[in-house]
Amino acid sequence: MERFADEALVLGTVDFGDADRIVTLFTRGHGRLSAFAAGARKSKKRFAGALEAGTHLTARLVTTHGDTCRLDGVDVIRSFHHVRDDLAHIARALYCLELCRELSRDNQPNDALFDALVHYLGLLDDKKAGPTSLIKFELDALQYTGFMPHFSPCALCGQPTGDRPRFDPEHGGVVCAACAPRVPRGVAARPEVVDALARLQAGERKPLPPELRARSRELLNLFIAHHLGRKLKSVEFMEQVGTD
Amino acid sequence: MTPDAINRLVAQLAKLPGIGEKSAQRLAFHVLRSPPEYARALAAALIEVVDRVKLCSRCFSLHDGPEGTFCGFCNDPRRDERLVCVVEGIADEMAIERTREFKGRYHVLHGVLSPLEGVGPEQLRIKELILRMQDTPIEEVIVATNPDVEGEATALYLTRLLKPIGVKVSRLAQGIPMGGDLEYADQATLARALAARRDL
Repeated sequence: MERFADEALVLGTVDFGDADRIVTLFTRGHGRLSAFAAGARKSKKRFAGALEAGTHLTARLVTTHGDTCRLDGVDVIRSFHHVRDDLAHIARALYCLELCRELSRDNQPNDALFDALVHYLGLLDDKKAGPTSLIKFELDALQYTGFMPHFSPCALCGQPTGDRPRFDPEHGGVVCAACAPRVPRGVAARPEVVDALARLQAGERKPLPPELRARSRELLNLFIAHHLGRKLKSVEFMEQVGTD
Repeated sequence: MTPDAINRLVAQLAKLPGIGEKSAQRLAFHVLRSPPEYARALAAALIEVVDRVKLCSRCFSLHDGPEGTFCGFCNDPRRDERLVCVVEGIADEMAIERTREFKGRYHVLHGVLSPLEGVGPEQLRIKELILRMQDTPIEEVIVATNPDVEGEATALYLTRLLKPIGVKVSRLAQGIPMGGDLEYADQATLARALAARRDL
């Protein structure tokens, strides 16, 4: 039984028994881990609202015999509570948490992804994150976890993607018209969408118009669902409540 | 060998929330040791609850009247029908009722929006709340969902639907609980309490 403290973000919680919670944490030093928080639903003092999804905190943990640590206490660094003032901000924050939960691995630290998530939640909290910044976060998160989609040049032949590109998650991104027969499951992508995603990936910060944003997210959702093996629940939520 | 009947009872009891295998065994043996009338009364109460208790067709609270009729809250003429308190579940409705401060009516959503669990508006009784607006002269909706991320998301979504149709939407105040301790309050609670401070 080893005691340690680690900087962490709460990715989600599941109620356990009458008073306890299992908390999924994304920690800086130990990657994703599950921690058992005894009495978390009843104690007003020990965890006092700190185990809400998205809270940035220092977690005091104890290793146990199984895979789940014991959460002994927390000190909140930032709760990002202004995110809760806006439905779109809540939806984006929870989507990013779910994406990171699925992309990160147990006991595999990922500093770049951790910093990107803290930074993005901070932007949402400060009301400085527009809808395009979510696409940028998705692209960064995919890059930091080794899933970076390829938008230019053609993922198969290396030539320019041209005016009739196709997007195929199985082959890692966009292919040109000449290579299209080799990717039968690829979907048609508009050149301006491919170009916008390539520019965002290269670091451009220009907000995208709503139509371009919607088409870009369609491609990214397709890519993420292919690599994770399922569509993220928060994506369906965003579609149902009409936020992007 | 434990008799099959006991094993079946233990298995059923162990399905209850918060009841593990050991607790289920303890409960089963308690039932067995009790007078037979107790077990029969317990069985009858369980069957009665399943057969008779239904959801009110207006507010989706529980009631045991005939199918298609309204619950006691909806039928009570002393309650103000212009004021509706929206709650997540029956337990929250009971908590508000215990205050004896609220004299309006209720609407039970049977859950909250939860992006991480995949619970969207379709899975809740939100559509029914909007339809209710057309039948009754509701002037104010008090959103009494929990002050967590899911509760806030639900409140914001309801506000987005209700405000455009001219209904006043209010939210339960948030801040330091009675008898609470400032030292242990989290920053979000304190910030909300400061923002919602009142004149003395």
